[in-house]
Amino acid sequence: MRTSKEFYTLLILCCSGLCAYSQSDTSHTLKGVEVKAVHLETLSSRAAMPVTVIDRKTLEMMGSRRLDEVMREQTGIAIVNDVSAGARAIGMQLQGFSSDYILVLIDGQPMIGRNAGNFDLSRITVSDIERIEIVKGASSSLFGSEALGGVVNIITRQKIDAAQGQAIVRYGSQHTQDFTVEGETPFGVQSGSRQSNIGNVNDTRDYKGTLSVSGNFYRTDGYNVNSFLSKGATAPPYDSYSLQGRLRYTLNAKNSLNIAGRWALRNSINESVYSSSQVTNTTRDVLHENDINTAIVWQADVNKGWQLKTQYYLTRYSTTQDVSTGKSTQLTSNDFTQYYHRFEEQVRYVVSNQLSFAGGAGGNLEVMDGNDLKSEYGYLQGDWKVNSRLSSRLGFRYDHSDFYGGRLNPSAGLKYSLSEKILLTAAFGTGYKTPDFQKRYQVFTNPQAGYTVLGVEEVASQLTAMQAAGLISEVRPVAKDIGIALKPEMAVSYNAGISYTPVPKIRIDVNGFYNQLHNFINTVQIATRTNFQPVYSYINLDRSFTGGVEAGISTHVIKGLDVAVGYQLLYAKDRGIMDAIRKGAYPYDKIRNNNTGETRASKVSDYFGLENRSRHMLHLRVFYEYAPWGISATFRANYKSRSGYDDANNNRFLDTYDTFIDAYCLVYASIEKKLCKGHLAVQLTADNLMNYTDMLMPGQPGRILMAGVKWRLFKQ
Amino acid sequence: MYKRAQWQWLAAVLLLTAACKKDDNNVTKLNYEDGVSTVIHDLAGDTEASVADGVEGKERRPFRSFYFKLSTKLQSWDSSSTFKQSNNWDLAFTDIYNALVYVNNGSGEGPGKGGAGKGLIMSVDTAYSKVTTAPDAVDFESANLGFAGWDGYPQPYNKGWYFYSLNTHLAIPIKNRTFIIRTADGKYGKLELINVYQGNPPAVTDLFWPAPYFTFRYFVQEDGSHNLKTP
Repeated sequence: MRTSKEFYTLLILCCSGLCAYSQSDTSHTLKGVEVKAVHLETLSSRAAMPVTVIDRKTLEMMGSRRLDEVMREQTGIAIVNDVSAGARAIGMQLQGFSSDYILVLIDGQPMIGRNAGNFDLSRITVSDIERIEIVKGASSSLFGSEALGGVVNIITRQKIDAAQGQAIVRYGSQHTQDFTVEGETPFGVQSGSRQSNIGNVNDTRDYKGTLSVSGNFYRTDGYNVNSFLSKGATAPPYDSYSLQGRLRYTLNAKNSLNIAGRWALRNSINESVYSSSQVTNTTRDVLHENDINTAIVWQADVNKGWQLKTQYYLTRYSTTQDVSTGKSTQLTSNDFTQYYHRFEEQVRYVVSNQLSFAGGAGGNLEVMDGNDLKSEYGYLQGDWKVNSRLSSRLGFRYDHSDFYGGRLNPSAGLKYSLSEKILLTAAFGTGYKTPDFQKRYQVFTNPQAGYTVLGVEEVASQLTAMQAAGLISEVRPVAKDIGIALKPEMAVSYNAGISYTPVPKIRIDVNGFYNQLHNFINTVQIATRTNFQPVYSYINLDRSFTGGVEAGISTHVIKGLDVAVGYQLLYAKDRGIMDAIRKGAYPYDKIRNNNTGETRASKVSDYFGLENRSRHMLHLRVFYEYAPWGISATFRANYKSRSGYDDANNNRFLDTYDTFIDAYCLVYASIEKKLCKGHLAVQLTADNLMNYTDMLMPGQPGRILMAGVKWRLFKQ
Repeated sequence: MYKRAQWQWLAAVLLLTAACKKDDNNVTKLNYEDGVSTVIHDLAGDTEASVADGVEGKERRPFRSFYFKLSTKLQSWDSSSTFKQSNNWDLAFTDIYNALVYVNNGSGEGPGKGGAGKGLIMSVDTAYSKVTTAPDAVDFESANLGFAGWDGYPQPYNKGWYFYSLNTHLAIPIKNRTFIIRTADGKYGKLELINVYQGNPPAVTDLFWPAPYFTFRYFVQEDGSHNLKTP
């Protein structure tokens, strides 16, 4: 039954796409809503890989409040819960890579603060975002090679050419409130216009400086999709405060200074009550989160074609999270404070219109609860426009850390215009991620399940101590191989694409991608405790891979109407599991039909792939704007095919008899009307309009209806 | 052309919305009652125990075992050897999360050791209602597992009723696995251990879902025969 419904949904989405495709009668240009392999003029996005851009206008039309809501709707991206790390562990998956491997940047600088590797994007408000850039795959050179799976760069408000202010008030379902106040102004009139900076969106032509300040308050009751809870939420309630400011100042014709700061605070109390029969259990989960980012950038045009950029970045993230039962019993606590300092010097040199270079060197200092981690890096990237048809990019990044030594990561990209209508692209990149503190030093026993996890450097001493205390019944041979030799994880990404523009208003993009992850760090059982519970540590596994195709069609055939369809086909598998099935290794050698109880030998073809990854993802977007009436509306539908939740037949790999999250489709809509010459706007938004929820997706809220009023203050 | 295109769009959008309509919440609450079997819901185990170090509010100690008498549905926490060696219990819920279930057997390893209990337990990979007969005593003795806990643990041949997922670290019961048992008094029956989490959810989505709360059902043939037919 479900299969036919999936098919039905897919068919309709495809048909809708084709309808759009067939209506090609008038001519307009494309807007930046779709997937584009554009050469962006921001530093951080000078990637060899294709870049997806979400612009301010798209964000405004969608009416989203938090960053996770925006990312949820992008092709190839999924927001998934990490149940093993608790109710608050939620992260973004990109091309099948889990959140652990996705770098989140704010104006090109890394954001920190993760929960077992998961970066919860809901802590970031959309209100101050000018543009979001997404690079999929490992492409190391300028942003950091640890981004094995990709990079998300949040660019805050930059373009300021007139004094203006804005206030937004939104209210809706689940007592969701979103208040934003922002103001920006240029100051200090300057005679003559300044030379535009290479590679920057700094447009302060007639003023010495610009200043922007914004504040946001957001709160929600969260959302509950678990019918076993009589109280509480599976998407936790929270309130969040954030303040952001940015000052740009032109010191003289050649020097400018840029100071930016962001402070965000989040409090959340989630009291869950499980009621059944005569039993009532309460779990209280309290979170306080504090997040600060500051950056000082000094930019100098040294000589003709030469530019220097000196920057210091500091971010601090602190969190306390405590989960306790109603009997005031603490189940877990996760408290830490993390500092991250970065100093970087960058040089850019534009030789000619055809050739330019960017290089830099920097150092990072990461401090977390008394542990220091120092690392240094250097990079060099060259852009060469060979001729009018062919352009190329080549980059290298060298990373060095005290413990793991140095490593060079290359990335390269090629673009070739076959004709005016056809553009071919190819890109390659590698990434490298050193094991984090946890994987090296943690000593942890799970209070719920009773198993123990040991960081690799603790294995020898802890095992000996546990054996002496009579806690160990069996040590496995693999324990001897653990030692301290945990190797960094490595990714190699390949991407090849074609962009076809049959008529100026229609574009078709098809991109094939393949990412290989070597030395993937996974848990392995090294011993058994006398209580039958396992002791785990970490080991490098051979490799996993994610591969597939991303395709997009975007059209702009009727004035004001933008239609885009995006699709991703994804295969994400662990080759270690495939080998184990092939070799007939226990427990991978069998497959139990849970409906009948019968067990048979397993085949490689029984293996579905990694958990939480949908094979098919289809997104439809319709954006419509009728300028004469000041009306704009959007309609979006996102389909994801079924994805694995967990093993149900004890063979440690996903097969058809396991627990799956059903295929689903979420519908979003919004409408906005501008009044009073653009000073006032009223917006209604509906997220998850059909109220689809699934217990297996605890973080996906049901229908959220919001109404908002925007008031803009500007000179006509 | 323009008008027609708009209608096409409207139609597509409406169809799509219909296709995306609300589904149920993926929760199917099963009915285990068949008229003759006994169904136990949310029988609390030792919910106060902790297996980890440094957990505030309670000392780290092993889970206290409890004992269950099938005919009277009585739970007992009496761990004296007099009680353990008596026939006043049929199932002992022991160890981590009380999920290691022993039968009362005086001659085997287990809590009933040294007593008079005749308990046996074996697993069959068949739906509960389709288990209709217990094997004869000789075959049952040779298939006796002694206990049912973590499937494949400590050895692959140790058939259990649940396993730990290495992905979510949660206990997952094995569906359509039924245990044929012999009670302490020597009567034949069948047992389905259904869940260790409160409320018997179809899947656990919260690391802190309250446990151990046992849901299980059983049928004991009081006439002493091997007939285990249930509707």
